[in-house]
Amino acid sequence: MRRIKAIIMAAALAATTGAVTAQDIEDPTRAPYYDSFKDKTVAFLPVSMGIDLTEGWAAGIKSALEPLGVTIEIRDPNFNTAAGAQALTSLISEKPDVIVVHNPDVQSYARLLRRAEEAGIYVVQVNMRSAYSTDAFVGADYVGMGRQIGQRLVDLCSPDNGKSGKVAVTQGVLTAAASIYQMKGINEVLNDHPEIQLVSNQAADWDATKAKNIAATVIQQHPDLCAITGFWDVMDVGTAAAIKESGQDVYLLTQGGGNQATCDAIAAGSFDESVVYNVPGQARDIANIIKQLLQLKPEPGAMKTTLFTQLEFITADNMDSGTCWKLPGQ
Amino acid sequence: MALTDTLTRWRYRLVPDHLVGEVLSKRWIDNAIPLLILLAVVCAFSFAMPDFFGPSSISDLTRQWGEFSLLVLALMIVMVAGGIDLSIGSTFALGNIVALALIAVAGWPMWAVVLGTLACGAAVGLVNGLLVGYLRLRAFLTTLVTLIIVRAVVDMLLLNYSVAIASTFIDSDSWYYPGEGSVFGVPFSVVLTIILAIIIHLVFSRSRIGWQVLATGGSRRSAHNVGIPVRRVVCATYVVSGVLAALSGLLFASRLGGAGADTGVGLEIMALTAAVLGGNSLGGGRGSAAKAIIGSITAMIMVNGLIRMGVPAGANSLMLGLVLFTAVAIDVRWIKNLHKVVSKVYVSPAYASLPKPPGTDSYSPYAVNDKLAPVTLIGLGEIDGPEDIILDDDDNIYTGNRTGDVIRFFAPDYKQHEVYAHVGGRPLGLAFDKNGDLLVCIGGMGLYRVTKDREIEKLTDETNRSWLSVIDDSRLRLADDLDVALDGRVFFSEATVRYEMHEWPVDGLESRGNGRIICYDPSSKSTHTVLRNLKFPNGICMAHDGQSFFFAETWACTVSRYWFDGPKKGTVETVIPDLPGYPDNINRASDGTFWLALVGIRTPSLDLALKMPGFRRRMARRIAPDEWLYPNINTGCIVRFDATGTILDVMWDRGGENHPMITSMREHKGYLYIGGILNNRIGKLKLKSADKSWTGLASYWGQS
Amino acid sequence: MGLLGQPTQEKIVLALALVLCLGFALLLPGFWTASNLLNLVRSVSILGILGVAMALVVIGRGIDLSLVATMAVAVAWSLQLAESGMPMAQALAFGLGFCLLIGLLNGFLIAYVEIPAIFATLAMGTAVYGFGRYFLFSLDIVYMPPDAHALTWVGQGTLFGVPAPIYMFALVSALAFLFLRYTRQGRYLRSVGDNLLAARITGVPTRPIILMQYMISSVIGFLAGCVTAASVASMNVRISNSTLIYDVILVVVLGGIGLSGGKGGIRNAIVGTLLIGVLLNGMTIMDIQYTVQNVIKGIILLTAIVIDTLLNPRDEQTAQQGDI
Repeated sequence: MRRIKAIIMAAALAATTGAVTAQDIEDPTRAPYYDSFKDKTVAFLPVSMGIDLTEGWAAGIKSALEPLGVTIEIRDPNFNTAAGAQALTSLISEKPDVIVVHNPDVQSYARLLRRAEEAGIYVVQVNMRSAYSTDAFVGADYVGMGRQIGQRLVDLCSPDNGKSGKVAVTQGVLTAAASIYQMKGINEVLNDHPEIQLVSNQAADWDATKAKNIAATVIQQHPDLCAITGFWDVMDVGTAAAIKESGQDVYLLTQGGGNQATCDAIAAGSFDESVVYNVPGQARDIANIIKQLLQLKPEPGAMKTTLFTQLEFITADNMDSGTCWKLPGQ
Repeated sequence: MALTDTLTRWRYRLVPDHLVGEVLSKRWIDNAIPLLILLAVVCAFSFAMPDFFGPSSISDLTRQWGEFSLLVLALMIVMVAGGIDLSIGSTFALGNIVALALIAVAGWPMWAVVLGTLACGAAVGLVNGLLVGYLRLRAFLTTLVTLIIVRAVVDMLLLNYSVAIASTFIDSDSWYYPGEGSVFGVPFSVVLTIILAIIIHLVFSRSRIGWQVLATGGSRRSAHNVGIPVRRVVCATYVVSGVLAALSGLLFASRLGGAGADTGVGLEIMALTAAVLGGNSLGGGRGSAAKAIIGSITAMIMVNGLIRMGVPAGANSLMLGLVLFTAVAIDVRWIKNLHKVVSKVYVSPAYASLPKPPGTDSYSPYAVNDKLAPVTLIGLGEIDGPEDIILDDDDNIYTGNRTGDVIRFFAPDYKQHEVYAHVGGRPLGLAFDKNGDLLVCIGGMGLYRVTKDREIEKLTDETNRSWLSVIDDSRLRLADDLDVALDGRVFFSEATVRYEMHEWPVDGLESRGNGRIICYDPSSKSTHTVLRNLKFPNGICMAHDGQSFFFAETWACTVSRYWFDGPKKGTVETVIPDLPGYPDNINRASDGTFWLALVGIRTPSLDLALKMPGFRRRMARRIAPDEWLYPNINTGCIVRFDATGTILDVMWDRGGENHPMITSMREHKGYLYIGGILNNRIGKLKLKSADKSWTGLASYWGQS
Repeated sequence: MGLLGQPTQEKIVLALALVLCLGFALLLPGFWTASNLLNLVRSVSILGILGVAMALVVIGRGIDLSLVATMAVAVAWSLQLAESGMPMAQALAFGLGFCLLIGLLNGFLIAYVEIPAIFATLAMGTAVYGFGRYFLFSLDIVYMPPDAHALTWVGQGTLFGVPAPIYMFALVSALAFLFLRYTRQGRYLRSVGDNLLAARITGVPTRPIILMQYMISSVIGFLAGCVTAASVASMNVRISNSTLIYDVILVVVLGGIGLSGGKGGIRNAIVGTLLIGVLLNGMTIMDIQYTVQNVIKGIILLTAIVIDTLLNPRDEQTAQQGDI
């Protein structure tokens, strides 16, 4: 349906463009701009659809590129790396113009991404980096993010401020790139601050129920716990529930794509703070990189661009109605 | 009337009804439904995506299939032995990470990496095998726990090595070969998998250990009781499964070179789905390499196709679930109903029109009399089913017994008897060859020889397979009667290729030419079929010209003569076209004529039914076998005829007291000895005008 | 041993749990406190409720692999409906209806089409998840509407200092126990599990009983889903693809309910749940890394099964064919 709609829109656009150019003064970049997107295909291969990040990126890319006549194809491996590799392999033989890929880990797609570039396809990586650098990377700087979070924990919980200095970390899956890099950043900071004590560092497998059980036990063991930082807001809903049930004053610092649900939770007091890599902004970055690649037409793999996303630390104080974003149907 | 008859005759001659039942009773028909599902999936996807089976796509697809199929084979081996191995997904991941760590971090040479990886898989398999095989833990639970443990070990390895693996570039062509290389354009993993599948197939179908695995899965208790080392067998299946899973992981590592956290997660369920789609059953006993391959292709195409079509994940799962339902439901119903269907459609009557039978009233040559009344009885109640009888030079009687023995009654009074030889099957036709060794047709076993030293030797139990026959007709199912030519060749009849020994009356219901005559040549020890499509060929007796023999076709009610040598070689002539009953054995008489046993007398109702195949088919399908209309075998007689087919003499037992049925008779020194397959006695009748010194042996082989 | 009688798997697992408890109580400060013990039971109460559902099915010689998927999708749908303005009670009624329908379908496929339970429910789990993702909601995570206080209590409330999920667990266990013990259908269910053919011959309506068994498990699953959703204020449909269902089976079988059916009772599921709870709680207190926890958990589970097999060896002659 959407594709049909896109085609109709593109056709309408093309028609109006034609009509307009006949009358007005020509903008010399205009025709080449639209020409460079004609009949182009962009394939999006996320880790899985159905989560706010990937839905947000998909929506952003679509709204930016579909009006230009670009076909967007989405392959959904549903959190299955092997299926993702299969999808990527078949995409390489189908030869879209650009592949936007969301890596499940640093390695699994590395060799396939190189093959894709060799086959003449531009590859843009989103948010999770592969060991192999491609034309562009758009996403959070996780090591830097870890450092910032670590520093934030120090600021919040330092005994100098009268706090206990006890903090806990709830990771997602231990082996995910986001987890590894962030932990590296957090550890770098905490190593410089021996007064901050990491009392629990557990993985909850991105599962809210597990996160809740871990948090409940940790709080119960350390009633003076100062802060918990979790690696995904969806999972930290469980952590928040555990904190609420315990009745203790534990600061919950979470992170995520900044979906409206996050702001709602901050407003409701479930989360105290969230580190947000703005998903619509990332989507715009992706779309811009794609536009650039399609216009400049460099040799695939020749240009290695990195666009780190600006991070925002949202709290109830600095939040307003426009801070978070919503999906079209939300 | 005549027209409908002709139509019916052509209808049943042209349409091979019997093939349906024969096809359905083949072992490979078990694979039909999985194969159909596979074809349906292939058609659906090539329709939905015309380039899905294009060359480049196929190449990618097959490479992944090779890895996946190894896992399905691994699971199949365990399932066939009655277990289940849920840990294969984790073992796959372990193989992947171990191979990567060994090559990238430890820097081992390729051969050592392969060995090390396989050893890891074997170790996991061995743990499973020791626990499930030797300690008798429950397979499902045990492998569920090893799944969790191995997965955790993989995660720990990942934490330690994933960064090192990611940052190392592996500079080794041999490392990339398994994942990216090809053999004559076919991906290496596919070649490897096919070779392994063939090996597994051969092991399961042709080796002792393979049969032991199948037996263990079929019934562990029985396997244990017949002395199969069940525990070792079960343990071995898990070790093999672990090795195969690790090998699959190695291929995956070589192809993608990535160690992800979710590598192999849920693969056990995919593999289980594939195994079941292929028709391997949980709980053991039913499974093969072919089934595993079919199932893995189906599952692979389905999952890949749905991803490639860009179906949203939800619709993808929904369709996968629905297909699994449908496939398993069809398979379950198929297995459940197959034998019912076979038992209904296997009996496929043909059209047969017998000539009008001659009467048995006083004008007829077959007029009923009481000539068998003065018979004396031998071994009454001591013997069960003497189908054929033969006497040696010392006048001892040899006959077959239902218990699988050749019995010898001692001359002269035949009060004493002994088991001459225990042959293990039902002895039917008997004959002495030139050396005085006893040749025996044994139902269900074939042609055997009992030497004078009572040694039992198999002469033949198979003949040449006819190419167009659906049923495997190379095995001898029902060797019936035999005779020996002067040059030592043995001609014997096989009554039917469609039924086992105990179902022989059912063959009469069909009245199709299911039987054949087979020649065994002792000089070359070869066997070949001489005449086929005979209606229950039964008695065989050499004519005196040394170039031909007479044979009886029971359901055709004829006696014919076949020339195997001489100017008329290869021709068949009907000698008696219209017997009033069903002929059985033929033997020589002292005056150069021949004795013929009629095992039963035709009835008008069955004669009519033979012209109505549809009626008989409905009967076979709708009512219990006990109620079927069978050929009458309650009353019989002995007929003497000459080489031209003229009936010379007929002997009846009108009351049916001494010989309720007659299947054979043998003349010896002025007496006629009479046997019957359902009798518990042998009859002895003094012949008035016979040559008192004539013996069958002398007639065949001269004075010895 | 005389006092304890024949050492069954249930007793072994219970003993193991007690030994672990004792060990943790002596070695870990803060383990043997009322609040921690309550927390321990609360953390496994959802697993326990699901375990009771699975136990009923397994006693009837079945298995319900679609349990988690059904619960996740049904509850997520209810939340979605509630969020779009439907009164909570009505939304929950729809969810419950959905569960009953799935249970009915499962039972029909197993009892009438005679698909082996493991495949029918496996396929059903996949299909239900797909159906939910495709038709009912687009995001994997559905949040609870903030105004659903009554429901929230089920997951987060306390009564006399005891968390509500524990009451739910106790209630479900008690009802299931009474059902199995005192109702005709409960006894039928056990006889069907013990020997289906014998039950059919003696006049037990085996097929309706199988239908009922899957419907009950779905409904209990829905209850567990409500507790889950209430306790974390959201429902993540992705748990249908997680290994939670394995944990549920583990709890049941570990407690001593044979997969071949007819054996064991609700008590066994509770014992299995407690062992897992003690293990998880102790290891979290010790801050053992998650992957190492899994190894330890696995090895202790394996130990329990091995001890059981050593004490009650299964013989080639008595083992049931096809009992995997």
